[in-house]
Amino acid sequence: MSITREEPSTAGMDHGGGYLRGIGNVVGLELRQRLRSRGWFILLGIWFVLIGFVTLLSWSGANASREYSEVAGGSQPSSAGPMIFEIVVAFVLLFGLLVAPALSANAVNGDRSGGTLAILQVTLLTPGQILWGKFLASWIAALAFLVSSAPFLVIAVVLGGMTPGHILVSLGMLAVELAVVCGIGVGISGLANRPLFSIVVSYLTIAALVVGTVIAFALGVRLTQGTVLANEADYQQSQVYLPESGQVPSGPGYVCGGPLQEQRTVHTERVAWLLSLNPYVVVADAIPYPPRAGQSLGMAGVLGANGMLEGISQGARAALAGPAGTYPCAGGKVQASYLEQTTPMWPLGLVLQFLLAGGLMWLGWRALRTPSRKLARGTRIA
Amino acid sequence: MTAEFAGPVRELQNDDDGGGGGVVATGISRRFGTVKAVEHIDFIAPAGQVTALIGPNGAGKTTLLLILATLLAPDTGSVRIFGVDPSENAAAARLNIGWMPDTLGVWESLTAREILTLMGKLYRMPPKRITARVSELLDLVHLGELADQPARVFSRGQQQRLSLARALIHDPGVLMLDEPASGLDPGARIDLRNLLRRLAGEGKAIVVSSHVLSELDEIADGAVFVNHGRSVKQQTLTEAASQGRRYAVTARDMAALAGKLEQLGLVYRTGTGRRGSISLLLANEADAVRLLRELVITGVAVTSFAPAAGALEETYLTLEGEQR
Repeated sequence: MSITREEPSTAGMDHGGGYLRGIGNVVGLELRQRLRSRGWFILLGIWFVLIGFVTLLSWSGANASREYSEVAGGSQPSSAGPMIFEIVVAFVLLFGLLVAPALSANAVNGDRSGGTLAILQVTLLTPGQILWGKFLASWIAALAFLVSSAPFLVIAVVLGGMTPGHILVSLGMLAVELAVVCGIGVGISGLANRPLFSIVVSYLTIAALVVGTVIAFALGVRLTQGTVLANEADYQQSQVYLPESGQVPSGPGYVCGGPLQEQRTVHTERVAWLLSLNPYVVVADAIPYPPRAGQSLGMAGVLGANGMLEGISQGARAALAGPAGTYPCAGGKVQASYLEQTTPMWPLGLVLQFLLAGGLMWLGWRALRTPSRKLARGTRIA
Repeated sequence: MTAEFAGPVRELQNDDDGGGGGVVATGISRRFGTVKAVEHIDFIAPAGQVTALIGPNGAGKTTLLLILATLLAPDTGSVRIFGVDPSENAAAARLNIGWMPDTLGVWESLTAREILTLMGKLYRMPPKRITARVSELLDLVHLGELADQPARVFSRGQQQRLSLARALIHDPGVLMLDEPASGLDPGARIDLRNLLRRLAGEGKAIVVSSHVLSELDEIADGAVFVNHGRSVKQQTLTEAASQGRRYAVTARDMAALAGKLEQLGLVYRTGTGRRGSISLLLANEADAVRLLRELVITGVAVTSFAPAAGALEETYLTLEGEQR
């Protein structure tokens, strides 16, 4: 036997390019299977039609209300672009959060129950390569949904008022959110024995992020009661809005006076991080909106007169700023009614979300290691 | 297929020849919770031989194979695959292991050719070698015509053969087959038997787990009997054959046959088979020859005279008896 091949030790330890190639092979395997299943295309088609329908509805809805306000002689000749854009972004995120777990949460244990995971594990693939490959494949599959909804975001821009930057930022943030969801799904699928269980748990986790964080925040706020030093706000002496003068009031509509006193309030900043975990908050906060620092919106800004996404963003930032930044006359200062985008919340949210998804992926990775030491009861690994 | 893919396998084998070639497992134990699946098993599958792993359902065969295939870590004990400890260098060990699980695990939407090509890539074979190797294996397992069909349309036997080809893609030095013959038609069984003999002839260590004992009689050089998670017995087929074997005898006149056997002072059992036969234990083939001659000469109209069971089955049944 004179023919020699590389030593197995070197052939097996070919790091760097080999590692990525292994991931690529897994991604290729996953995507090829996905592309050949009709279900995925049907889902993609339904998605496209649905987003299109939502876009059409919001467009015609905007038109109808504009016609009405023209007839009624209303004052707001606003373009429909921003609203369509916001509705489409919100829906794409909603559907993305609904679809991504389905694409990812059976990635590992589905293969395990099909007996194909062990086939990969006995090859030179490392657990990390398998996991990254599965994650990337599910993310790419989820991104296809995003790409198919991109035309409608473009339509929103064309209809006016928005810049291409909006599309890029929102698509980027939606893509990142899908990655977080896919990471959560793949991680859980590595941990749980049964695909059904891991899919349900993934959906519950997503629900916890979307709804649970808001509930937790609302309940948590009640535990943060405290005081803040503030003096009296006097709304009487503020400028009066006079339409005839054409002057837009620039202040928040009050002046501060009197001695500083302890005022009862809630310290929302202590639980605001909960809100930052919310995908809607992250996306809404990251999408730029035009500065409105000169305008006095009061609560209207929070409640969405400038659009739902901006409202979510401002509300979350108000919570993060806490009474020191929002309570009228806290510290004797007039508070800006508008919270600058220079104090964004989305980086905090992304870090927390990455920690969650990364932690689950790491646990999933542990469960994929071979030769495996621990094995859940009743599991067959092959 | 031999020369071109003779790689690390052969090298290692040469290094270790006579000593640690093939699979050597010592003192393997593994428990799942409170269940002791495998308890202190010693197992040797020498290179160049087919070793059968025999035991009743739930005896720990699959667990042992999973440990040998580096998927499961033993609680105690050590495994050597051609001298390599998988717990230290899993990749090197895996290059030498071809594993065919009992659950076939086939990617249904991929074609046979794609599956084999992918496996070649996962073992980091050079791309140009993969193409040739894949065609070669497809021919070897007679799937050439179905090569570009998705595996979904394959019958169980065809999937089985694909799974075998998949285990062979990187020309491993050890081939571990978990129930490889189940689902195969008789022709494919004969093919499998010939293939395994040939691969063993090339110097591979082949481990076959099965409970179709007559099957193993034909191909195995040695056998390890496992029951209740312990290795009960390790013997070569020669040993098995020499330990005495049960023969079944029928005659036109069964009463006359029985009478003659009693006259010779032999202990016999009246069979429970469909056609009433008499079976008795004979020490070796020479005894069988002598008895048959005696019967024929004394005018007993013998219609059949043959081993009642395979050599391995004989051991298996003896062990079963001991367990009870």
